[in-house]
Amino acid sequence: MCCSALSAQQASAVDKATLQLLLAKIDQLESRVSELEGHRQEACGYNVAALSVAASPVAMKTRSTLALPEPARVADAPSQAAPTTASGTEQTQVDNGMNDRMDLSKTLLRIRGFADISLHGGTQQGDKTSFSLGQLDLFVTSDISDKYSFLGELVFEAGPDNIYGVNVGTANSFDIDIERYLLQYSANDYFNLSVGRGHTAIGYYNTAYHHSTWLQTTTDRPYLFQFEDRGGILPTHTVGAHAYGMLPSGRLGLHYVAEIGNGREAQSPLTQEPVQNDFDDSNHKAYNLALFARPESLRGFQTGFSLYRDMLNPTNMPKVSETIAAAHAIFIRPKFEWLNEVVLDRHVPVGISKVFDTPGFYSQISKQFRAYRPYLRYEYMNAPNNEPIFPAVGLRHGPLAGIRYDANESVAFKFQYDYTFLRNQPGINELTTQVGFTF
Amino acid sequence: MVIWPQAEAARVSEEWPHSLEADTDQTEPLAVVINRMNSVTNLSFDELHRIFLGSRVHWSDGRRITLVMRDPGEPERKTILHDVCGMNENQFKIHFVQGLFTGEILVSPKILSTPAGVRKFIFNVPGAIGYLRLSEVDDSVKVVLIDELSPDDRRYRLRMPLPSVKSE
Repeated sequence: MCCSALSAQQASAVDKATLQLLLAKIDQLESRVSELEGHRQEACGYNVAALSVAASPVAMKTRSTLALPEPARVADAPSQAAPTTASGTEQTQVDNGMNDRMDLSKTLLRIRGFADISLHGGTQQGDKTSFSLGQLDLFVTSDISDKYSFLGELVFEAGPDNIYGVNVGTANSFDIDIERYLLQYSANDYFNLSVGRGHTAIGYYNTAYHHSTWLQTTTDRPYLFQFEDRGGILPTHTVGAHAYGMLPSGRLGLHYVAEIGNGREAQSPLTQEPVQNDFDDSNHKAYNLALFARPESLRGFQTGFSLYRDMLNPTNMPKVSETIAAAHAIFIRPKFEWLNEVVLDRHVPVGISKVFDTPGFYSQISKQFRAYRPYLRYEYMNAPNNEPIFPAVGLRHGPLAGIRYDANESVAFKFQYDYTFLRNQPGINELTTQVGFTF
Repeated sequence: MVIWPQAEAARVSEEWPHSLEADTDQTEPLAVVINRMNSVTNLSFDELHRIFLGSRVHWSDGRRITLVMRDPGEPERKTILHDVCGMNENQFKIHFVQGLFTGEILVSPKILSTPAGVRKFIFNVPGAIGYLRLSEVDDSVKVVLIDELSPDDRRYRLRMPLPSVKSE
């Protein structure tokens, strides 16, 4: 009996000691938890405990009904996740973006770069197989406020400009062009306004693809949409104002673009910057209207047309009325694309009954197989020999075929073969290998 | 102005189970949540598609939509990409790069790594929209109906595997 009572007393003493030890340990852990939570609150600026309660399994189980959009329920909903510094819901609901904008220690600029390097060879007279640095494109955006934003595109490019067949500048030197420079105001989905220098909404390609070859399937743009300083015939850039947005049209998905700007330079000889960045050579303004549909029932499909009008002022010549009509139908899914566009560029010298029409079109199709995307394009452009604005362009048409390989999400390799028929000249064979990337 | 991506890296590991709708016992609804001050109560699936692809950038009151996404690789994000956007991770990224480049998309999605972070951000930003597992929803955010269906409706389209049976 004595032994058993003694052993019971000893066991009780041990239990008490263990209990004390455990309680002390719990106290230690609790104080440590409090300390850590305090640090976390300081770092995050909100009440971790409140969020812990909100996210805990117990809290979840007690939420038998959802915060569904019943007005009374929403109004009464407790703000368990509210910042502790807030005195009320209205005061706490500030736009975090606005806070960022007001923080002068942060830059609002976001910069993304695009570039490409090519190895190109062809049978055109004077053409040498060469490595070429493509455009180094710094794309800059800034979220100025809830309604205003800035978009800019600064391009470093090597080689002389080629304005309607006339070379300007020196080989192997780099130039810097501000290709886009737009202040954008976004009122709602139906009305947006941008002012500055941007791409004209002529057709589809010029609105969808800008100065990055990485974003394009092929190594270069179609002839028809080549940039003005690379021999293109269309005014792909303009300085002015652009209004755009959706039209109330239900599932038809109608959109509009209305543009007014300086239009293109039309001095002769055409050896100057074709885009009138600083001043216009006349009071007449170019304008462009575009309408297109993206029906919801056929995702990836877009069709539309645009009409551009300008009055050109070449020296030693009468003024030339310019009308550019364009239509497109495209179908793009993540693994498939089919682009079709047709353009008619009409020049009519004032006081002369003759009309100079330059028609052009292209059709491009590609299909993706894992990281590989083979593609085909046929393009056609036919400028009359005595065309008053771009006499050196002439006829050119032909196919190209190639394959694009996306090595990863930022780097793409392309291998492309082009054959181009020219009027009264031998055809040209070209091979191009290009690596395009974003950074 | 259409901004579908050209590139795609369709890897098997990125594919997502396709038969979730039928097996509601093994799945959990993914609730689309907005700020409590937002008057929107219902979105059609097409509207949701346009919002998550950045082609609709304003609410009807003119306030700009701020898209909230979870980190790449999170199952909630995969569900949205697959079921709403019809894209994989790579396609989605390229879509936004190209959309920002054309000027058609105004801002990139806000990336948040935890459900608590999503709740807090949406609580604080009136124009925000994001998504949470139904079990992670609390009263700090508002759940919107999708095609007039609430997440606890068996016909609700946005569903994802329960954590315990989450596919690799």
